[in-house]
Amino acid sequence: MAVNWAQVLFNSAVTGSLYLIGAVGLTLTYGLSNFPNFAHAEFITLGAFVGYLVAETLGLGLVPALVVAFLFGGIVGILCYRGIFQPLAKRGATIIHLMVASIALGFILRYSIGALWGWSPLYFSTAWPSFDVGPLRVTALWLWLIFAAVSLALIMHFVLVKTKIGRAIRATSSNPELALASGINIDRVILITWFIGAGLAATAGIFRSAGTQIWPMTGWDIILPIFAVVILGGIGNFYGSIAAAFIIGLAENLGVVALMALGLSTEYRIAIAFLILIITLIVRPQGLAMLFRRA
Amino acid sequence: MSPILIMEDIDAGYGDVVIVHNVSIRVDEGEIVAIVGPNGSGKSTLLKSLLGFARLFRGRAFYQGRDVTGMASDKLVSLGIGYVPQVDNVFANLTIAENLDMGAYHRKGRDSIRAGVAEIYEMFPELGARKDSLAGNLSGGERQMLAIARAMMAEPKVLLLDEPLASLSPKPTKVILSKLEKIEETGTAIVIVEQNVRKALSVSKRGYVLVDGVCAMEGDADSLLTEDVSKQRYLGLEAKGY
Repeated sequence: MAVNWAQVLFNSAVTGSLYLIGAVGLTLTYGLSNFPNFAHAEFITLGAFVGYLVAETLGLGLVPALVVAFLFGGIVGILCYRGIFQPLAKRGATIIHLMVASIALGFILRYSIGALWGWSPLYFSTAWPSFDVGPLRVTALWLWLIFAAVSLALIMHFVLVKTKIGRAIRATSSNPELALASGINIDRVILITWFIGAGLAATAGIFRSAGTQIWPMTGWDIILPIFAVVILGGIGNFYGSIAAAFIIGLAENLGVVALMALGLSTEYRIAIAFLILIITLIVRPQGLAMLFRRA
Repeated sequence: MSPILIMEDIDAGYGDVVIVHNVSIRVDEGEIVAIVGPNGSGKSTLLKSLLGFARLFRGRAFYQGRDVTGMASDKLVSLGIGYVPQVDNVFANLTIAENLDMGAYHRKGRDSIRAGVAEIYEMFPELGARKDSLAGNLSGGERQMLAIARAMMAEPKVLLLDEPLASLSPKPTKVILSKLEKIEETGTAIVIVEQNVRKALSVSKRGYVLVDGVCAMEGDADSLLTEDVSKQRYLGLEAKGY
């Protein structure tokens, strides 16, 4: 079997880009709020459906859909944090309580979306024809996805390093008690992070579904590799998550090559992220955090 | 001198456990006050109860005559109360410059912050020389300096230091003490909670001795050091030649 390795690398970049956009919000909120928010999957799904509403039902196109989905997702994130997770945390809820609450919230959102839009798959009408660039077969959607992920990485780097709120996010994630003792209003910092995190998840939902389908499980379909990115990158570590997203993207695509060579279904690719997640937790639970200490 | 900070009849602890019983302290403007005593006597808990990091069961706190009991810690910082915890007192993943920036979080105006940073680097030239180093890579003494410098960036009128000399070797201890005297010269009052009784009282004007969560003695630092009773019973110092 002849393998186009350039294509494998390109596909890895596409996969990694999607995981990065989906994972940044999860890792930041996990680092600040100290629990894994499983409803992040439904923030992704919600973004896909809101994007569909704006782009298809209202006919406004994909760019307005991305903007509206980001804002809508962000507001939903804030409401979920303020209405559920913050009150629970203030009442002394443990990580288990918060995690279970997030799973419950995820179910509520997922079935509400199902009740509203139905469980049959929906599709964006925009076609993304493929074309050749040298040895690569690409689509405009994939190029947009890579561009969005690179832009996100650069913007987030600028925000986290150069702006006051970004430094406060890193400081609060590193040491919340000291952040309070420094006069930082950590409630505000956490709220802003939830807005950004859920907003990014929503845009990931559009990118995920623009080339495939939209249904109430859209977010759930990719939440496992996104969690693998968060764990491998080091919880709360933005720079680690960039490296981890592309490592897992590469591993998945190399896995696809291996599965095809073995004559197995490529559906098993999801197991690769799961495998990396388990190995990371056993061998290096802190993930890549020590390599990216300025996070 | 008028009092800048008063804590009255404080009962404090963690969960349902009361560690500090009916302790009152007063800090006057621009003075250094030491709170000393053996390990587990409730010194740190007393400070933490003011900031909300320990549970306040009873008592009141007044800052510049204003009742600040139960006030959120970020508000206290903006009013002028600085706090340096004993452990985890720097943002390890931030550079020295970024730590100082976080200390100035509530300060308005870039010029004011820049001027504050320049003052800090003048007071702590060791930090200025390594401003782009990650705080997590600093030595114990450098960390302690950064922790104090970070708190100073908020322009506190009273600075609460929780065991600033803990785990430091003699040389950095001497450096930190000299920095505290420099800070005192700026008019900032300092409350220093310390197990290193002799060192803490040597730079303080007054002191409180906490034993088993109650205030066993209080008075001028000199008299606390010279009274045989306090030295032997509470401070663990030799009766002569401390």
